[in-house]
Amino acid sequence: MILWVMPDSGARTKTDYQKLVTRFQKEYPEAEVTVQVFTRNVLWKKIFMLKYPTAQETIPDVVQIPHYWTALLTRAGVAENLSQLDPGLSLVPYLSCLKPHCYKPGTKDLYSLPWWFDLSALHYRADHLRLVSENPEEDLSTWEGLLEVCARLKKQFADVEGYYPMQNSDWRGSLSTRSTFMEIWGRGTDLFTPELRRTLIATTEFKRGVQDYITLALKEYMPILRERGSLGTMMTGKASMLMSRKQGVSSFAGRKAAPVRTVPVPRTGEKSVAYLSGMNLMMNSAGKDKETALKFIKWCVRPDNQSAHAATLEAFPALEESFKQLISSSKRLKIYDGILASAHTLPNITITGTVVEILNKVLAMAATEIVEGRFTQVSLDRELDQAAKEVEYLLSLYEG
Amino acid sequence: MFDKQAYTVFKFGKRIDQSAQNKRELLDKALPALRELFRLDRVYFFDWQQERALLSLKMMCKREYCMDMQEDISVLSEPDFLKELLRDGIADSTDLNYPAVYVLLKWKRPMMIMDGEEVKNVIKTRLGVLRLERFKKERVFTEKEKKLIKGVAAEISRNLTRTEVGQHNQQRLNIATTLNDLATVFASSLRLSDGLELILQGVQKSFRFDRVRLYQTSHDGRKIKSVLGVDISGEVTNQTEDDLPEDERTLLRDIFDSGEAYRVIHNVVYIPLKVQRNKVGFLTFDNLLSRRRIDYLDFISLKQFSNQIALAIDNAELFERVQELSNYDELTKLPVRRFFAEKFADEMARSKRFDLIMSLIILDIDLFKQINDNYGHQIGDWALREVSQVLLTSLRQTDFPCRYGGDEMVIMLPRTNDDECKIVAQRLKDRINKITIPSRYTDGKHVTLSISQGIASFPQDGQTPQELFDKADKALYWVKNGRRGTFAVYREVADDLPKEK
Repeated sequence: MILWVMPDSGARTKTDYQKLVTRFQKEYPEAEVTVQVFTRNVLWKKIFMLKYPTAQETIPDVVQIPHYWTALLTRAGVAENLSQLDPGLSLVPYLSCLKPHCYKPGTKDLYSLPWWFDLSALHYRADHLRLVSENPEEDLSTWEGLLEVCARLKKQFADVEGYYPMQNSDWRGSLSTRSTFMEIWGRGTDLFTPELRRTLIATTEFKRGVQDYITLALKEYMPILRERGSLGTMMTGKASMLMSRKQGVSSFAGRKAAPVRTVPVPRTGEKSVAYLSGMNLMMNSAGKDKETALKFIKWCVRPDNQSAHAATLEAFPALEESFKQLISSSKRLKIYDGILASAHTLPNITITGTVVEILNKVLAMAATEIVEGRFTQVSLDRELDQAAKEVEYLLSLYEG
Repeated sequence: MFDKQAYTVFKFGKRIDQSAQNKRELLDKALPALRELFRLDRVYFFDWQQERALLSLKMMCKREYCMDMQEDISVLSEPDFLKELLRDGIADSTDLNYPAVYVLLKWKRPMMIMDGEEVKNVIKTRLGVLRLERFKKERVFTEKEKKLIKGVAAEISRNLTRTEVGQHNQQRLNIATTLNDLATVFASSLRLSDGLELILQGVQKSFRFDRVRLYQTSHDGRKIKSVLGVDISGEVTNQTEDDLPEDERTLLRDIFDSGEAYRVIHNVVYIPLKVQRNKVGFLTFDNLLSRRRIDYLDFISLKQFSNQIALAIDNAELFERVQELSNYDELTKLPVRRFFAEKFADEMARSKRFDLIMSLIILDIDLFKQINDNYGHQIGDWALREVSQVLLTSLRQTDFPCRYGGDEMVIMLPRTNDDECKIVAQRLKDRINKITIPSRYTDGKHVTLSISQGIASFPQDGQTPQELFDKADKALYWVKNGRRGTFAVYREVADDLPKEK
């Protein structure tokens, strides 16, 4: 069986997955599992090749997918109908916010199962913030407050070489599309209208949400397009805050010299909105070893295995009970109960993945312009207007 | 004298010199070999995006494995580093706190480009960078090692060129085979529509586009007749011009009018299909959903293949036109007797099989001979055209009229009984009675046309096409006998007719 995954734990990914496979093989010694790791970008391109693979291409049996890809993959005929293979599969024990992303829209058949998920939050070094704020939680509750804290921190650590108030959590070290959504939602707008027929990308509020996030790079509060290895992290003291989807249990726990607190992402509008990023397991309909694939998926989503794997990735298990157990295990994690309640996610429609790709391109261009010192809000707005037109066209073609 | 460095490079070359299918496969071999040779903790491969001054991380090799990675690093703020790397081919990292060197890779990639209508083969130079890392501060790279690293990097570059050339040739061969297969399938399809469906499905399957569409247009390119498409699920769709957004219709016309060989808008490629001056349609393919780049080689190959498609469509349309000419009467545009007879026999058989009803009207223009004699054949032809025009515009889609001969016309009305048929006959009578011969031909007299009609119905009046025809003809005979300008149903006048011997 071949498993395609993304490098969720960076350079450790292969080792982490080898551990997972070894545990699976203890229960199923006859199963042969090969893990192949692809970046999200490469995986996105590869899934479009799955419909008609060439003789030379290896195809996966199971694929880890962002949960909003389910609709696309069912439409393309790539995802296997799991309910047909095992009518006993049920979403009852899962968190309700993860359920809509497992179905082919308009049906009750399961085409993917929730595996784990991330929730965005703001982590900060309590010892650093104490130097610039009497009440960090209060100051970090709004976006304006965050920018003010960033300015004070920059001044406070001016003599620390390579210091930035905010560590960049984007894997590519660039501007992250997914990090803009909290600011966009916070401003009361969204990618699409509620009935998912039109896009709101060209609206002023959407643009202001993107602008909120970009300000961090423009004011040099967060590094972009810098060699990751050359930059310090929050834990090494070269940054004081990190807006991340990872819960950080293994990174932050037990470090008395670098105490970390977690708060909701500062609100840009009325209330703080978190970004929920779900990862599901999908079976390739053209896979060659569906029997092992089904065994593997069912094994992965079992509470013990799901919790263990989510912990490895510093993510949250998708099962409601397991999630509750995890957040009650530490004082810092309790805040995620409220964060989950305020979380939004991207809709499970055919074009969502494409829209993210389009916005990635817009932000990549903005990142280059910022580094080259030729960024203007006008050019970003123009790019967003153009993106909105493309998305409208896609909506007209694919009707969601 | 034995050159140890040259020998090491030679051995390295031997190790990675296996036929790799693509760049990734080659790097999968080269990076671990490099890590082993220089006892590295980690080695990275970056694509160098010169236009954006970005090092774009693609792959990382650590311990026993390699994996895809993604990170963008701008080198714009480090001009000295850049200068050194480009000048010497190797440069030390300026900001990592452990020993790391960057080494330049430079290789060739063959490409095909279109210059107007002309296809050109070109060779492009590609740049990449390897970053070799050792985590212990004391394990710095010596000058001797750096020299060897450059030698090994040159060997990797040579292999990259060989792999890119091999991949390009293989790709060309695959495309040629694919298009040849598609052409064979197309040629063996009996019907044009079947052939086109197979072509579109084949193109989508082989080139893996999100969508492939074929727009067939009228010869002046102003009207889209049909849109055949294959979507991302592989399903075939069929649309008409009305289903298309106005923007798309306008765009297609613009491209036709511009005379361009192709146009690319976003991730959609439009290739006009023309045969000499005849506009045939458009072949379009897109990766709008996946946003994958459309490979230039794929595009050029399909551009050339599109000529074959255009020719096939044009031939098929020509054939259809020839068929149409032989099936339709030139003067009245009505189907001819032979064509009608085929349809009539088919419809009769269907009606019998499924217990359906049908009716037949035979009509002729009253005093047609006199019209010809009095006003000339030109007016006779005009009268035939006028009457047939009424037939063509007054009947239902399912009714089938024909010019049987001279001024005699026949109409087949499937699923129609006597009463319904009378309504049709009345409508024809009324409309034709309104046709006036132009007064300049009649010395100012008001002369109108009229028709006589005989009706027979299946199953009551006959069980075969011939029987039904004979009965309708008899009813017409009854009308002509002193009741011109009216119509009659056979069964209603049968008793009045002379008995058959």
